[in-house]
Order: sequence, then C-alpha cells, then structure tokens
Amino acid sequence: MKLAYFFGEAFANLRRNTLMTLAAMSTVAVSLFLLGSVMLGGAIITQSTGRWEGEVELNVFLRDEITPEQSKELETAISAMPEVQQVIYESKEAAFKEFQEMFKESPALTENVDPTALPASYRIKLHNPNSASAVASRLIGRPGVEDVNYGGESIKRLLKVTGLLKTVSLVFVGLLLAAATVLIANTIKIAVYARRNEIGIMKLVGASNWFIRVPFILEGIAEAIAGTMLAGLVIVTAKLLLLDRLQQSIPFLPLTVGWPTVLQIFGTLLAVGTLIGAIGSGFALRKFLEV
Amino acid sequence: MIRLENVSKVYKDSVVALRDVSCDIQKNEFVFLVGPSGSGKSTFIRLLLKEDEPSEGRIWVAGKDIAQLARWKVPQLRRQVGCVFQDFKLLTNKTVRENVAFALEVIGRPKHVIQARVPEMLELVGLAHKLESRPDELSGGEQQRVSIARAMVNRPPILLADEPTGNLDPATSGDIMKLLLRINESGTTVIMATHDHAIVDQFRKRVVELENGKIVRDQARGVYGMGGPQPIGGGTP
Repeated sequence: MKLAYFFGEAFANLRRNTLMTLAAMSTVAVSLFLLGSVMLGGAIITQSTGRWEGEVELNVFLRDEITPEQSKELETAISAMPEVQQVIYESKEAAFKEFQEMFKESPALTENVDPTALPASYRIKLHNPNSASAVASRLIGRPGVEDVNYGGESIKRLLKVTGLLKTVSLVFVGLLLAAATVLIANTIKIAVYARRNEIGIMKLVGASNWFIRVPFILEGIAEAIAGTMLAGLVIVTAKLLLLDRLQQSIPFLPLTVGWPTVLQIFGTLLAVGTLIGAIGSGFALRKFLEV
Repeated sequence: MIRLENVSKVYKDSVVALRDVSCDIQKNEFVFLVGPSGSGKSTFIRLLLKEDEPSEGRIWVAGKDIAQLARWKVPQLRRQVGCVFQDFKLLTNKTVRENVAFALEVIGRPKHVIQARVPEMLELVGLAHKLESRPDELSGGEQQRVSIARAMVNRPPILLADEPTGNLDPATSGDIMKLLLRINESGTTVIMATHDHAIVDQFRKRVVELENGKIVRDQARGVYGMGGPQPIGGGTP
C-alpha cells in the first residue's frame, strides 16, 4: 500500500508540473548525452591506442659471435620475466627474408645487402607497453646482446597523449555530472515548494521524514531515468547511423565500437542518471524538510 | 501529561521568548493559555511540538522527555499531539474527506482503518453531509471543524489549539468551543492559546497567563483578565 502511495505521489507530481519535468528531463538528457559521447570517444581512443600499444614490441638484437648456450640462456631469462607475454626468435635468415619482403619494390637495396649483415634477434611482446623501458634496461649489457630497441620515445609520447585525453574527458564528465545534479535538485526544489502546504501538514500530523521524502526522490530518479533513456537512444542512433557508416567508408581507422561497449556505456549512464537523480533530490530535500 | 520545568527560550537575536517557565498539565485537563501578542504563547506551543528546542529546562510530553528524543522520533511525538490553527491549514485541492484521510495516510495507516474512521470522525464534528465538499465551499466554522477532525482522527491523547477561534465570529466560536469541550470530555487533554476574553470568561477552565515570557498567573476556573478590561491584541503572537 505504501509503495503504491509513493509511486502515485511521484507520478502525480510529475504530471502536475509537466513543464518543469520536461525541462529537468531534457537537461539530464543533454548532459548525459554529452557524457555518453565523451565515454564513446574515450572508448574509441582506448581502442585505437590499445591497437597501437598492442603493436609495440621489443627487439633484442644479438651479436654475431653469440654462442648457442648464451642465446638459450637469454631466451630463458626473457621468458621468465613477468612482464613478457611472448618471445619469438628471429634468425639471421628470417630477418633477411623479412627485409626482402619489406623492400621488395626496391631490388637495388635488397640485392646489395649481404644476407648475413642483419642481426638475429628476439622479438618480445609485452603484457603492458609501459614496462618496455624497464625490460629493455634489464637486457642491455647482457652477454651476446648488441642492442635493444623498443621505439621508447614514441611510445612514451603516445601514452602521454592518450593519458592526457583520458584525464581531460574525465574532468569534463565530472563537470557535466555536477551540472545535471544541480538541475535535478532545482526541479525537485520547485516541486517541494509547490507542495509546501501539504508537507507542512504531513510533518504536523507526524508523517516520518522518509515517508515525506520518498516520493520526491522517486520523482528525481524518474526524471533522471527518462532523460537517460533519451540520451541512450541518441547514442545508439549515433552508432548506427553515423559511426557504423563512417567505418564502412573508412575501413582502416578504428572509428566505431561494438555493441558490448555501447551497452556498457548505456548501463553506466543509467547508473549515473539514477544516482544523480537521487543525490539531486536528496540535496533539494535536505534544506526544506528539516523537522 | 505535559510538564515544563524551568524552561527558557532565547532566540538567536537574544530575544527572550520564555523565561523560567514551569507548568504541569494533568491528563484530561482543559487549559487556556492567554496573554498579549509576543508574550510567548506560540513559543510555548512550538516547544511542545519540538519545532524548537528550549534554551534551558526540560519538557515532558505524554510521559517522554522530549529533549532526549532523537530527531527521527519527532514524528512519533507529533502523532501524540493533534494540532489546530487559526488559519485551518487545510489542503484546498482535496475534499473534506481527503483532508482528514490524508492525516492517516501519511502515517501509514491501512486503508480499512482510514475508510472506517474518517466518516466516523467527520460525523462527530457534524460534517457528515459535507464529505465531498472542498474547503473553499465551506464556512470558516466548518473549515475549523474539518481541521479539528483531522487533528483528532488519529486519536491523540493531547490536542493543541492555537487561536482556533481567531478567525471566527462569536456564535461560530462558541460552537467550536463546545466541540473542543466535548473532545476534552472524551478523555483528551486540550491546550488552547487564545485572545478571546469572552470565551475564557464564559467557560471557566484553568487559565495560564503569559506576559513577557513569564507565567504571571495559573488559576483553576479563571477568567481572562484579573480585573478591568484588557486590550485586545491583533493576530497570533
């Protein structure tokens, strides 16, 4: 019976203040749509940097005079490192073959290179590209190791840029969330103000504070969820009509995201929307409903 | 039933509303609380409802020390104390029946109780024929009856009435008084703050007079003024 009362009151309020409800809903929709877009952008960035980062590998070039024992020992040592995901040996012959393959358009180059001039190497795939320099410094100077190459600077720069992008978008998201919360708090305040007589009487006859609060909190949550649905709908539409089509015409860039990511964003928006609905109305009620 | 012990109330701007007030009100008593505007009558009532905290002293209502009462238990206190005001405080968008039912709904009483008690209570105050009217279709006296029905429908042991006849003509005021006396006779402790000399003098109940925040008189079967005519104050203090 209580539940029916709470929902009844909440929806009566929403209907009574149609205009305010619409205003709150649409502001939540706009801010959560922006939040969703930032998350979507973030997902695309993470996906592409993930792809680049995944391509990062460490090349350990070996001296020509390395003994098979030293080589064996080195391989064991590398595989034993916790950061290492996979290690592949590339012999001199394999290196030359790859070299030929890479420059097959310029035979002058491949013909003038001695097949034995290229060093043998270990190619290391890492779990996390951030550990590249640490692994490299441990390998440099080992017997039989000529040089270690991991494209150090460019990786660092790449990670810095993506890290900065993530931070900036997080700050942006934080600001938007605060704005949405304040807007919900405002609409709830108006709803409370419109019903101040009723609330005064409720307090007078001894309604418990939660009994008074719950309909308003439900109202805030309902507004937020409605706004979230709208925002989610726009984002799904954007994926279908914009990103997927763009991806079809530019296949080599990672421009779209899969349904699991979209669903995840939708779920997050819903959780965040519900939360700011509750927090916003909580804020609005704190001042008005003191005993 | 109600006991104040050396209660003082000083507001933030160092306005003293009550000074060292002690008062004992027994179960089933009917007490007129009189005094000019600003004498502390309203503060007295606010303290009993824990709408305000006393600066000093202790207050017991219905056997409980209300200073010790946790905030979240204040609603429990208010369910023990019905309230009636000069301006009725009815919800204009609800019918008479809904106004009274509201008081039970919001404290979570089950539907069958509400459906049984509301018409019963409205019959008691003589409004059985106006169940579906709205407050603005009623006279002032009828509106005050609705507000009394709302205050009493939960059967509280105490009724506080703050200037209940303040907006009513003498004849209607008399009717409201008779209703309050009947409620008192059926076992409810009634405290009524008032300016109305005629009523106080006519009904001869216990009179507690406040002046500048002090009790200057506490008299069984008293009249409004000690002697001579008193100035008639305007509005609620």
